[in-house]
Amino acid sequence: MGKLIVAVALIVAACGGGATSAPATPAASVPVGETAVPPPTPALSGSVRVLIHQNPPFVDFMTAFNKTFEANHPGVTVEMEVVNANDLMAKTQSRLTAQDVDVIDIFAFDRAVQPFMKNVEAPGWQKLIDAGLLMDITDQAFVKSYDAASVADAGSYNGKVYAVNLGRVGYSGLYYNKDLFAANNVAVPATWNELVAACATFKAANIGCMTAGGKDGWPIFVGAYGLLGSYFPDQLGLVQGLWDGSIKYTDAQWLELLGKYKVYAGEMIEAGASGIAGDAAPGRFASGEVAMQAGGTWYAAAIDSLSPSFKWGYIPFPGSDNAADNQFMFGKYDQGWAIANDSSNKDAAVAYLSEFSDPANYQAFVDAVGPIPTQPGATLSTTLGAEIAPYLATFKIGFENYWLGPKGAGQYATPMFTNLFKPFGTFDDPAAAAAQAQADLQSGLDAAQ
Amino acid sequence: MRYLFGNGASRLAPYLLITPGLFLYALFALGPSLATVVFSFTDASGLPKLPINWVGFDNYKEFLTLGAAARENLDALVRTLIFSVGVTVIQFSLGLFVAILLNQGLRGTKFFRTLFFFPVILGVTIQGLMWTLFLYPIGGPLATVLDWFGLQSEFLGGQPREAFIWVMVVQIWANMGITMVIFLAGLQTIPDEIYEAARIDGADRGQLFRRITWPLLTPSVNTNLALTIIGSLQAWQLFYVLISYRPGTQVLGYVVYATAFGQTSGSTAGTTFRQGYGAAAGVILFLIVLAIGITTQYLLRRREARLLG
Repeated sequence: MGKLIVAVALIVAACGGGATSAPATPAASVPVGETAVPPPTPALSGSVRVLIHQNPPFVDFMTAFNKTFEANHPGVTVEMEVVNANDLMAKTQSRLTAQDVDVIDIFAFDRAVQPFMKNVEAPGWQKLIDAGLLMDITDQAFVKSYDAASVADAGSYNGKVYAVNLGRVGYSGLYYNKDLFAANNVAVPATWNELVAACATFKAANIGCMTAGGKDGWPIFVGAYGLLGSYFPDQLGLVQGLWDGSIKYTDAQWLELLGKYKVYAGEMIEAGASGIAGDAAPGRFASGEVAMQAGGTWYAAAIDSLSPSFKWGYIPFPGSDNAADNQFMFGKYDQGWAIANDSSNKDAAVAYLSEFSDPANYQAFVDAVGPIPTQPGATLSTTLGAEIAPYLATFKIGFENYWLGPKGAGQYATPMFTNLFKPFGTFDDPAAAAAQAQADLQSGLDAAQ
Repeated sequence: MRYLFGNGASRLAPYLLITPGLFLYALFALGPSLATVVFSFTDASGLPKLPINWVGFDNYKEFLTLGAAARENLDALVRTLIFSVGVTVIQFSLGLFVAILLNQGLRGTKFFRTLFFFPVILGVTIQGLMWTLFLYPIGGPLATVLDWFGLQSEFLGGQPREAFIWVMVVQIWANMGITMVIFLAGLQTIPDEIYEAARIDGADRGQLFRRITWPLLTPSVNTNLALTIIGSLQAWQLFYVLISYRPGTQVLGYVVYATAFGQTSGSTAGTTFRQGYGAAAGVILFLIVLAIGITTQYLLRRREARLLG
């Protein structure tokens, strides 16, 4: 019975010897802080097995950091495995279960079960903690390097700390090519109508309007988070409204919003974007073939590294015709670090995160990868930092981080995460898409009763 | 009475010889299979220290009856059957056609035999990567050809039906070589004298195929049908590599993987580690494969007995 995935996966995980391949080429050009912590006593030994997700600037930084860490601790080797972000949770589960990982890259503790939710599955991070697989790091000194809000909001559960979060990211923005905008005499759009007009201008000039890394699925509709945000700035309220029925996808406001989704998918995103991998989208944008890229702030470092002289800007997605509605940047706490509770080398794992959390190293990480920092003393002094500075004061945690669907709900119950409209999805009519989404959600809500 | 391996203690030799194989089968196939059935009646998460509770048929009820998600599971079942029928019919026919061509003793036979078999030795990831590049919608080889005619397609990332058909194409391309080789082996067991005699009796090409080749290929036909039907019912890796999670494309094998290991999206995104539920989906898939497999085997054996005695 080849389909018996559960048991086979457990066996494979149990047989998996360790890890894995460190990136072959160290990124010598990535600066790692020079004030690294000296080796503690007694001297550490053995290996530190680290699991991280694919993000080229982050991988380059970690490769360089690992070399520095090994140099500071001659008895220690770092074995780092890089996996696609979509596979990170499954891989985390396998390796924690097999007890062959020490330090894991874990996304923030979001999607917690809200009081108004019923019949939902607890998120994966909560199950990992309930299973005793993550180490309680509440008393570790390096935790104090991070701001208390990020520790409480993105790494704590039941009063204990299990992860430190490395930064917030915005995901409701648009990158735009300054030179192309200037050359085509297009002003940076502040409203939806201006965005539509800008796309028309670029397409008339045989320039693609915008791209996205659609091969990974979700990046196609990252830009639509901005659309959603301009209509529903209170994102937790939106989630609660959908759950209690006070907001329905078939409401007039949603129908208008879905009409814009349709324009976004069919007329703004360039044809063929579904073939572009998420980490290839910055290259497509930096090539100048398209004027804009819908995407999160995590792409900024890659865009800069691909073409340092490339001039770009970053704005909240202008989803509303009222410019005042388009002033919010939505996002989330992003990646963080946790330690496996069953780690056979906890001292080295703690030393690894202590050294990473050293302010100089953390600043180097911020410079290389570009998150909005969660260490009080760090600054984002990059192009992105300047671009998003006006929106940090009103930065909002987005819909995605609150949403859990009830068991039994259909796949369109959360239309933000699915490619609804042609050419990426099957829908052509916003009313039909709304009806399907509401039916899928209602089905789960009814089951929860 | 005389036994093949002799009398006395030697009679135990066959059992000793198959013991390692049986042990490995029990360890890696039978044991996990039975464990999966047990897991399907629990809320097991797959995480080692969480309690496992007996939930009876709840996982099955949820999979088959709970809300719109159950409807999507049934859609995936229908899609699985469509995929299996489509792949089986085309792969079987194509494999037979190519095998007959390569059995003619024409020049270049070895080259083409190797060429057609080549995809079989590639792993699923490599197969997926090759086709992803071939179907790259911006300037990829096929996109360029379409562009010559003013056409455009998103291929794997576009309409679910089109993406689904492309996975069928890749599945057939990847496995047709095995079908071909089994048919070739069968064709080479048919003595030339039979064809020669039939020709002397005035049989034309069609009659040669219908009256000699097709009946005598029965063992190969049975093997190929069984392998292709079961293989296509269980297929999920190519869906994962080529299109991953997309509404309207999942087959049951992919649903099993996605529910057990959190590769879902939409309303269930972020909820992971439901291996009891995934095990129930796996058992349902197993029962479907078993029912279809047993029926197919019964019909094929009856046909074999009728044709070959």
